[in-house]
Amino acid sequence: MRKKQNGFRRPVVIKNKRNSKQPESQPSVDPITGKKIPKSFVFARGKLPVPLKQLQMDLRKLMLPYTALSLKEKKRNSLRDFLNVAGPMGVTHFLILSKTASAPYLRVATTPQGPTLTFKIQEYALAADIARSQLHPRCPKDLFKNSALIVLSGFVSGDLPLRLTTNMFQNIFPTIDVKTVKLASCQRIVLLNYNKDTKLIDFRHYSIRLQPIGVSRRIRKLVQSHQVPDLRNLQDVSDFVTKAGYGSESEADEEAATVTLSSNIGRVNRAATKSAVRLQEIGPRMTLQLVRIEKGLCSGEVLFSESASGKPGDKGKTDDEMDNNDEDSEGGEDDDQDEDGDGEDLEDNENDEELD
Amino acid sequence: MAEETQVVESGRGLGKRKFGRNQGRKKSNKKPKVMQQQRGQKKVKIDPKMKKLYHKRAREYNSDDEDETAAPASVRTRGAPSMKTRGVVSFTKKKHEEEDIEGEELSEDEGAAGGQRTQKRNVTDKKVSFSEDEGEDGDEIQPGITKFTEGCKAFKMAFKSIIKKSVSDDLLGPVLSAQKNLVIEKLAEEEAERKVKGEAKKEKLMIAEKGHVKPASYLDSHEKFLISVATKGVVKLFNAVNKAQVAQKGLDPSKNRDAKELRKRTKEAFFSELGKPAIGTSAVKANASTSNGEDEQPSWAPLRDNYMLTSSRIKDWDKNMPGKNESDNNEKVSEDSSSDED
Repeated sequence: MRKKQNGFRRPVVIKNKRNSKQPESQPSVDPITGKKIPKSFVFARGKLPVPLKQLQMDLRKLMLPYTALSLKEKKRNSLRDFLNVAGPMGVTHFLILSKTASAPYLRVATTPQGPTLTFKIQEYALAADIARSQLHPRCPKDLFKNSALIVLSGFVSGDLPLRLTTNMFQNIFPTIDVKTVKLASCQRIVLLNYNKDTKLIDFRHYSIRLQPIGVSRRIRKLVQSHQVPDLRNLQDVSDFVTKAGYGSESEADEEAATVTLSSNIGRVNRAATKSAVRLQEIGPRMTLQLVRIEKGLCSGEVLFSESASGKPGDKGKTDDEMDNNDEDSEGGEDDDQDEDGDGEDLEDNENDEELD
Repeated sequence: MAEETQVVESGRGLGKRKFGRNQGRKKSNKKPKVMQQQRGQKKVKIDPKMKKLYHKRAREYNSDDEDETAAPASVRTRGAPSMKTRGVVSFTKKKHEEEDIEGEELSEDEGAAGGQRTQKRNVTDKKVSFSEDEGEDGDEIQPGITKFTEGCKAFKMAFKSIIKKSVSDDLLGPVLSAQKNLVIEKLAEEEAERKVKGEAKKEKLMIAEKGHVKPASYLDSHEKFLISVATKGVVKLFNAVNKAQVAQKGLDPSKNRDAKELRKRTKEAFFSELGKPAIGTSAVKANASTSNGEDEQPSWAPLRDNYMLTSSRIKDWDKNMPGKNESDNNEKVSEDSSSDED
């Protein structure tokens, strides 16, 4: 069916400093568990306004470390370009942001052949917005060094599209092995909460912090910071310990949020002591609505569509269009191999419009 | 109307000034010399006023009718030396006159002394205010100063008249007040244009910012709920990890027998931990449990026919004996176990 591609394709430019310093720094397979590590590209189709660009950057940070943080895309890069690069780099997922007059959209796709989930972003807040809203935004140095955990909640088991959604998001992040995982590396968590009534998915990103229970704030700070405390106002050294000052929030902790650790985490959280789990939002924050599911990578049969009315017609139309586009784009590649395929861009735009 | 008056005033002022000048000169012939001395130092050519003065002097000196014709000739002689005898005579006369004047000046300078000079300097320094005072003093008016005073008065009046004028339109001011309508029109046009542009920009911004919500600085109930859900998930995971890793302690995975034992135990612990939450509960700890057919078409698998079967394994986990999992045909579970063995 398809013409064989032997033309040169302009590759997507990836400027990853870390990669250039030490090539092959990121294994495609987890060294301990031997499982394949999913990697992702976050990029945009079409022109994005500034806040969405920022959202794209936030999403990239969220997907760290197995993502191309400084992926540079150009207008002329078609989806196929990304796909061509994705293969050798072991990229398994695409997160594609796009924008229409009505709303921004997020597409999550598995490479190389789909499926593609299209979400309408009802609301979103950037990481910067969230940091601004907080009194003490928290960002430890190694926050983004390890991949995030994911918690899916409220997804009804019977619903097929939702099932696919959960599966997709589970596979975007590397699986963790309970035996070998170091709890210190669990620093972030991504929460997807499905609201049955509104059919919206809340997308949240938190940082995980562990605090020992039953230790006053002063002592904790002393142990953490290793600095000489200010004792000017105290009569005796013992006051430093006995005068607890204000009861910190950790005292009023509910039992549910406490864990017993198997190993030490940091200086403060010792093994076999109870620690409280604290989450602080780091953003981005999104409210997603599942709009459609396609069989292929941004193409193919529509398996699910939110708008029930346009279902069958939509499906046929998209299929045809996509096929045409494929053919055309290939033809275009053959025609102008060295030049940028302008035709492809147009098609891509068409695709985008259609999807939205 | 105001303009007209202004014009009239200025005209009058001019006349006055002229008159004053003439008067000053007529009053005392010495006076111009004060002015002239400045110029003399600079070696400036004699200007027409001075010429007139010379004529007058010459007339007085010679008391001849001839003089009137001779004076212009003398001017000419300066430009072109070839002249008639009469011209030559006049020229010599003229020279004589000049010497005379200069002599006078010198004598006056020496005689009248530096007082006058200092006064003059003061005048030039303090300019308007000082000269005005002088003019009002009026006992010994110096011509240069007088001139200044008169001129200043005119200027003052003109300025006053301008100031007196009530400016009705604050927006435009007195400038271009005649073109008031035109300017207003233009301003209105600009305003409208700007408005349209601003609206377009605003609309664009609205589209760009669509969906962008600034979060509130406090945690509302929904956010709290989400955090609690996430916390539950984290706690569950950490506890599972803790259990698995505590069980692991004390056994050396490098030894074969221990490794086997370890595998068995961890599997049990793992499944017992994960078996607890039923599917109906809100929190599903997902990625701890799954290693989803990643070898062949990872997320495509769920769309196949056996998808429902595979997912139902979560329910059946606690029922299945861990040892039987290997024999199970179910793709998922076998993979799980294999991954565990890794």
